[in-house]
Amino acid sequence: MQDDLELIKRLQNKDSHALSKIYDLYSGALYGVILRICKNEIKAQDILQEVFMKIWEKADTYDPSKAKFFTWAYRIAKNQTLNSLRNSTKLIQNEDLSVYESKSETEPQIDVFEINGSLKQLEPHHQKALELVYFNGLTHREAHQEMDVPLGTFKSYIKQALKKLREVYHKELLILWLILEMMI
Amino acid sequence: MVNFRNDDMMDRNTIKETGILEQYLLGELSDDQRIEVENLLKEDHELREYFGTIEDDFEKMAFENAVTPPTFIKENIIQSISGSSNEAKDNVIPIKKSTKLPTYLAVAAGLSILFMVSSLWFYLQWQNSQQQLKLVQDQTDDLKDRIDLLENNFNETNKWYTAINNSNTIQLVLKGNEISPNSSAITYVNHEEKKVILNSQGLAKLNDDESYQMWADVNGEMIDMGVIPADQNMIVMKYIDDAESINITIEPKGGNDHPTVERLISNVLL
Repeated sequence: MQDDLELIKRLQNKDSHALSKIYDLYSGALYGVILRICKNEIKAQDILQEVFMKIWEKADTYDPSKAKFFTWAYRIAKNQTLNSLRNSTKLIQNEDLSVYESKSETEPQIDVFEINGSLKQLEPHHQKALELVYFNGLTHREAHQEMDVPLGTFKSYIKQALKKLREVYHKELLILWLILEMMI
Repeated sequence: MVNFRNDDMMDRNTIKETGILEQYLLGELSDDQRIEVENLLKEDHELREYFGTIEDDFEKMAFENAVTPPTFIKENIIQSISGSSNEAKDNVIPIKKSTKLPTYLAVAAGLSILFMVSSLWFYLQWQNSQQQLKLVQDQTDDLKDRIDLLENNFNETNKWYTAINNSNTIQLVLKGNEISPNSSAITYVNHEEKKVILNSQGLAKLNDDESYQMWADVNGEMIDMGVIPADQNMIVMKYIDDAESINITIEPKGGNDHPTVERLISNVLL
């Protein structure tokens, strides 16, 4: 997905319609990340709100030449979530229990711990490696310990996983292209 | 801390191998490392491109695992930023609301506009038809009047024609004498049916206080056959048995009991 630089410019100029559009574009993906890291819907909703307030306030510090907008926003979301967890670890554990109880009362959410899309087609250790650093908010250092493999091995897992992922995307694109060709 | 920049031996592939770009993307680096990587990317175009690919991969992964948040969050955010937005405050929410007009309302509005327009069109068509109908009605009435008139005329003419064009009818011409030399009238007498018809068209015009009157001479006595109306051309007169002659006199308006013989203008023998 290409970034809409015009839209981002408007956001940087404090145009609330631009924020509304940015929200429509990115809130789902960011919420997916936040929810998987903190594993608590109520908390995740608060954090998402805080993340967008940060995006609004700090938009002028975003530099398109350095990274894509989503990369920038992802970092904000991840940091915000990890900070929030650090500040109230005990509370979260308590809340965790209550959330699991109340979850059945509220509308049945999709299983946030289930990973979707192309990631599912990877080998389990590749999938796990990406999941840990991207969706669980672990650092490489934490994650290699979690997987009980050396850091170098873990890094190569990530690299191979991304390469495989790219192949899956390309295959999907090829199939999509073939379908489109057949339709024409 | 590793200083990548000062390591001249570290080529592009080595940087890729270290996994530092992934860590940079994930925001795991310290500030110093982050600045190093940013400078590297700024200088090395190909490396920057490679980083872009990793970004795309991660972004796609995130989008494939997106979870739709509850709608109230967006409302909260928009509400809390409305003070710091660059637009006028009341510009933000109402416009948003108006764009959120439910589909069914939009459909209903569209339908009602369509209905209004078509109603107006039908009303105008109806008005137009009404006018045309009235025009046709007027013309029909006019034609009907004219037909009635023609029919009356025809019946009248036909009546005189059948009366006159009869083998038993005698035609007599009454020529005016020296009192009214230009006058002439025609009488049609049918003894079988005992009918007298007068065509008074040729009689000279009289003053307003005078009338022509017709008389029958029976054994020297003048018997009234009727006053001749000034406004009719063909008149049925009284038939008098055993009349020897028919006479026309000028009398005071409305007729007279006895003929004014001095003013006899015409007579004819039967």
